[in-house]
Parts: sequence; structure tokens; C-alpha cells
Amino acid sequence: MPSKPKLKPQVFHLERSEGAPRRAAFTIESVADFVEMEAASVATVDPTERAVEAAQRRGIVKNALVSWGGLFFSAAGGFILVVVGNWLAGLIGGLFARSPVLGLAALVLGGLAIFALVVLAAREIFGILRQSKIARLHMDFATARAADDRDAARRLVAELAALQQKRGKSARVLELTREIIDGRDLIDIAERELILPLDREVRREIAGAAKRVSMVTAISPRALIDVAFVAAQALLLIRRIAEIYGGRPGFFGFLKLMRSVGAHLAVTGGVAVGDSLLQQVLGHGIAAKISARLGEGVLNGLLTARVGLSAMAVCRPMPFVVGPPPAIGDVAPFLFRSEKKT
Amino acid sequence: MPSFSDFLSDAGIAARNLIDLFSGRTLRLGVTGLAGAGKTIFVIALVQHLTLAARLAALGEKNSLPVFRVHAEGRLTGGRLEPQPDDAVPRFAYERHLDALTGPQGRGEDRAWPPSTKRISELRLALEFERTASLGRNGAALSIDIVDYPGEWLLDLTLLDKSYRRWSEESLAAAEARAPLGGEWRDYVQSLDANAPADEDAAQRAAALFKSYLQACRAVPLAASALPPGRFLTPGDLEGSPLLTFSPLKLEADARPNSLAAAMERRYEAYRAHVVRPFFRDHFARLDRQIVLVDVLAALNAGPLALRDLERTLGDVLDAFRTGKNSILSSLLRPRIDKILFAATKADHLNHVSHDRLEAILRRLTARAIARAENLGASIDVVALAAVRATREANVGRGGALLPAVIGMPIQGERIGDETFDGETEVAIFPGQLPDDPDAVFTGDWTADPREAEYRFVRFRPPIAARDAAGTPLPLPHIRLDRALQFLLGDRLR
Repeated sequence: MPSKPKLKPQVFHLERSEGAPRRAAFTIESVADFVEMEAASVATVDPTERAVEAAQRRGIVKNALVSWGGLFFSAAGGFILVVVGNWLAGLIGGLFARSPVLGLAALVLGGLAIFALVVLAAREIFGILRQSKIARLHMDFATARAADDRDAARRLVAELAALQQKRGKSARVLELTREIIDGRDLIDIAERELILPLDREVRREIAGAAKRVSMVTAISPRALIDVAFVAAQALLLIRRIAEIYGGRPGFFGFLKLMRSVGAHLAVTGGVAVGDSLLQQVLGHGIAAKISARLGEGVLNGLLTARVGLSAMAVCRPMPFVVGPPPAIGDVAPFLFRSEKKT
Repeated sequence: MPSFSDFLSDAGIAARNLIDLFSGRTLRLGVTGLAGAGKTIFVIALVQHLTLAARLAALGEKNSLPVFRVHAEGRLTGGRLEPQPDDAVPRFAYERHLDALTGPQGRGEDRAWPPSTKRISELRLALEFERTASLGRNGAALSIDIVDYPGEWLLDLTLLDKSYRRWSEESLAAAEARAPLGGEWRDYVQSLDANAPADEDAAQRAAALFKSYLQACRAVPLAASALPPGRFLTPGDLEGSPLLTFSPLKLEADARPNSLAAAMERRYEAYRAHVVRPFFRDHFARLDRQIVLVDVLAALNAGPLALRDLERTLGDVLDAFRTGKNSILSSLLRPRIDKILFAATKADHLNHVSHDRLEAILRRLTARAIARAENLGASIDVVALAAVRATREANVGRGGALLPAVIGMPIQGERIGDETFDGETEVAIFPGQLPDDPDAVFTGDWTADPREAEYRFVRFRPPIAARDAAGTPLPLPHIRLDRALQFLLGDRLR
């Protein structure tokens, strides 16, 4: 590399005073102030993001064992385990007394059952850990982006890529972590490359569920059937969304997830008044005029979509930065369109 | 050797910390730095921004602290000054300093940087904010006790673990390395007989020579080096007392009673007992957060020797943070400094394209310190900041090259090359380029001719503060003050 000529410190007088010696001509070019540019790029943390983090803290990330309820269930579970163990030992002992073959068979079956139970429990714990890791990633991404922290961004993007490993594409982003030096840009690129395709998939799922629910409600003969169907669809939807974003909630993990979704619904229910409640009332009103069943269908569809959006916000490993979070009209436009058509 | 009095003082610290812990939500923020690093300005800017932020936001002004999350989220609802808890400590003269900075009695043209302070001072700032964690909104409050003290005092803390004998040996060895500085003092000390009967004249003379040696270390071009005991340089009302009339001696195997060495040792012990330990117990040991301001640019101006000296001094300062680690009682009961921020101040003296390099140099300067802090369990960060921003930026095109420059009004008497400024005119300055590799500024030796330097940073006059309708000065612009606040306070304001 040829060595550049060293530039000496220099002074440039803005006003030409009489006494000042004449110097070579120069131009002053004003530049955008970097402090203000930095300030503009730090988007203020909006209430939607705060609601998501609060909801995640309430469910997914919460440590359920440290509470009176947790203590009760742990203690009661342990007690029942002791009772069952005692009974099993007696049973197998009795079987051995009757015939060794029978006893051996019971022992093998019991052992298999316990082994399967251990594997199930391990998967359960693994699922919970995975889900809370995703929630932590979400919060860390938010702080790393606000601080424009390059090191944290690199580490987090690598973790995110590892989470999505089986989906390909992550290799390219990982390569970028070595090239891009600005933490904020890196996070934005990771969101665009890794998360936006998942977002599309999630939107399709929400739309599908909302459509099915409104359809079934409109044509189902009994109220009980559509209540059961709506509940089942909502649960399936939450589970499916968690899976798309890389989580594998088991039973208990799913309970935690539900709690977060519920908390998020409770918080955003108020926020969304201006956004869609009006539409809901309106839509319901017009649709209900045409047919009471159709109106109920629209309402249930909206409800399902709302649950889906909350699950999306809570399960997503990153905050919405590149684009705005989808509103209810984005995922289920047919619910609003139908009223215009009919 | 831990004595009973050490144990008592540790117990006292532990008790005070417990009181702090249970008496409500408080946080003690230590602000320190060697003389001229910008401590006063930092405290003024911090207090001014935080007390006015909520009011300005309510008036719809632009948020000046975007990275400081509690404010960016609109959760900061108020800030005000309150009476400080320690009645024996001088109050930080916030109003007077602010007045000097913005121009006395509203005369903007008389504005000037406040004079540097040479003693400890304290100020309590109460912040009201809303929590994030709970879903409902509820108010919370945090009292921040800002303790501003000279960085030289930190060096004293290393004396707490040193006997007189060890300190004497180390000081003499250090002086050896700094020759020819302090030659007169060393010659005189060598000529003294440590076992001769105590002689006040000899003690006075040795102390006076020692003091002038310490002062010489502070003078240009090695402006950055500071040696304990710090109170020799800033004696305050201790001037002339026996506490400050001692000097390292060349010691024999064991000191005879009533000898000169014994007298010196007694004074050294008194200095530790009456100056260093109270500072440690009453102030330093109770800090929760610490910001160390470093004037890297002044050291860069002075050359590689000064930088190497600054590095050594910063390493010693960090030694102070380990003081008292080895006592069981104190390590058990001390919820101590958990975040330390090193800030290269006066970042407005160079264009922002060089800020990363400035931070790299500071990181290099504090590398030793950062490695140690990992053992301490404190998190450390480095930032280039300007608590008050006195310049704006522009590119100067000349002869086909585009130079990133800053525009401001240099202080009277500052010079670049052959040019001296009069303090009245605004000029664009290209201060030179910092090297890519931070190691480069530590090598070489061009203190001989500063005109050959590749960079030269001049000081600027403070900007003129905007005022509101009532004449209250509004917060001045800054660079990354919000980032520093987020690091130091952010986690307690959630």
C-alpha cells in the first residue's frame, strides 16, 4: 500500500479579515449533523414493543417454580409420585410372587413407560427453554438495536441463525455478520432475510384459521360446535405460529405461551380501540343485518385473527422494525371485504 | 496486616451500605477524572438535562437524549435537585457553575468554562419515572447522589494496602525511572540518614522537595502523570500540617524509635488514617456506579510519553477499585461498584469520523484496567463523549481533497502551527487524523517539536445557550451524553 501523504492540522478562516494572510482558496461544505442523524435512527421505543416485552415476561420467560402455586404443584406431584411408586413396587412384587415371567414382563413394560416419560419430560423442558430463549432473543435484539451494539448484534444474529438452521439461508446471513460492521444494519438485514419469510407464512396461517372459523361458525348447526371449533382453531394456530418461529412448545411450554398471548391480548385490546374495534362493531353490525349467523362468523374470525396476531408478536424472535406489525386488516382482509360485497 | 481499627472501619462501611440499601431507592454515582478532564462540565450537563428533560418534553421540544431509554419512552416524568444526605460534604455549586458556563447574569458573551474544582462535592438529583415491568402505570423515584471528586485521590487508595517501607521503596524506584525529574529531591533524600534523630527542618525540606517533584510530574509535557499522595498537590486546608510533611526515605533494616524514619512513618500513617481512609469509607466504598473522565486529547497533544504516562496512571486508578477486596467482611457485605464507564471527553474537538479511533485509543489505554475489572464483576464500557458540544461539523474542500473539519470559536491563546487565536472569531479546523491503529500513538517520541505533530486539538469556547421565555438557559448540545446515561443509570430506571 503506498503511504498517503500525512495531512497536517489546518485552520480555515471563515471571515476574511484584513490582517489575515492570503491563503489558498477552499470551500466549506455543510454536512448533516451526525448527532441528529443518530437521534433520528434511534426510533423511539413504541408502546407496541413494550406491550410485547411485558407479555413475554408474564408468560414465557416467567419462572413458574418460584411461587406458592409452583411449590404446591411440585410438592403434590412429588407426593403422588411416591404413592404411585410404592403401589408399583407392591404390584410388581406381587406379580413376581405369582409367576417370574409375569413379573419380568411387568418390569420391562414399566421400565419402558418410565423411559418414555423421561424422554417426554426432557422434550418438555427443552421446549420451554427454547421458547424462553426466543423471547430473550426478542428483548436482546430490541436493546442491541437501540444501542447500535455491534458485538451483541453479531452474537444474537448467530444465535438466531442457529435457531433457524434447518431452514437454510442462514449461512448467507452468517457470512454477512463478518462483513457488515454496523450493528443496527446487521439486525435489520437479519430480520429481512430470516424473519420476513416466516412472517408471510404466519400471516397465511392466521388468514386460513380466520377464514375457517368464520366459515364454520356461519354454517354450523349448533352453537356448541362452533365454540369448540373456535377454541381448537385458536390453540392450533398459536402452536403452529410458535413452531414457524422456531419454538417447539410442549404441554407446559404451551401453557406459558398461552399466558403470554393472553397478557398481550389484554394489553393491546385497549390500544387497538382506534384501529379495529370500530371496524369490528361496524362489520358485525352490517353483516348481522344480513344474517345473524354471518355476523357471528365475522366476529369469531376477527377474534381468531386477533389471537393469531398476539401469538405472532409474542413468538417472534425479533421486534418489528423493518416493517410495521401487521394489523388485523392485513391478515384477514376478507372479513372486511365481505361486508362491502354483500 | 488487618488491625482492629481496620475491622471496625469495614464494619462501619457494611453498616452504612445496609442503611443505603434499605433506606429507599438511591444510587451513588461517582464522577472522577484527573484535573482538567471535564468533571464539572459533565455534572452540569447531566443535571441540566435530567432536570429539564421532562418539562421540555411536555412543551413538545425535540428529545435531546434519544438513547436514554427512560426518557425516549416518555417515562421520565420529573427531575429536581434535593438536599443531599451527607451534611459534611460541600454541595456541588451547580447554579454558580451553570451561570459561569452560560454567561453571568445572562450575558452570553462572557461565557467561559467554569474553573476546575479541587475538592469533593456532592449533589442529589431525584428522578421520577414510570416503570416498564408492570402493565399498569405506576410512579417510581430514584435518588441519584452525584459525588464529584478529583481523580488524584483515587491514587491515594493504593496507599491503603502499602506500608511506609514499601511505599518508600516504590516511590524512589519510580522517581529513578523519571529522571531527570526530581533529581534534587532524590539527592537530598539519599544524603539523609534515616536513623538520625528526628529533625523538623530536614523533614520540611524533604517534603517540600518531594512536593515540587510531584508538581513537576504534573507539568507539561507529562501533564497526564499523577503520583500519590494526591493531597500534596491539592492540599486545601491541610496545607502545612504534619500530615503533608513527609517524604519517602532510603530506609535501613529497622527504624530506631525517635529517628527521622520513625517520625516520617508516623506521619505517613496519619495521612492514611486521617485523609485516605475517611475518603475511602465515607465516599468511595459507597459508590454504585463510576464514570472516569479522561482527557485523551490533551495527552495526544502532549505526545507519546504523556500517553504512556496516562496509561500507567489509569492502571493505578483501577487498582484503587480493588482496594479492600481481600477482607472477608467487606467482600460479603459490599454491593459495590458494578458499572464503570471510561469516557474520552471533549469529543467535539474532532470530527465524528474519528470518534471510533478515539474510542480505540481509550480502549487501548484502559485495556489493563478492563482485564482486571472482569475479576471484579463490574461491567466496563468506553465512550467518546462531549458533555457540552462547542463545535459543529463541516467538510472543507481544498485542492480536490475533502477534509472532515469542525467549526467553532477557539479559546484565546490556543495555537495551531504558527497561528494563535484571539478567542473572538469562528474558524474551521481540521485537527489532523488519528491513526487507524491505536498502538501507533504510543510509539515514537516527538515531544521535542509539537509542530511536527500529525494532529493538534485546540479548546473551544462554550456555545451560547438558548434561553426560554423566563431566561432559564436550556440544555446545551452534547455528544453521546445520553449513551453514557443509559449505561450508568438505564438499568435502574426500568
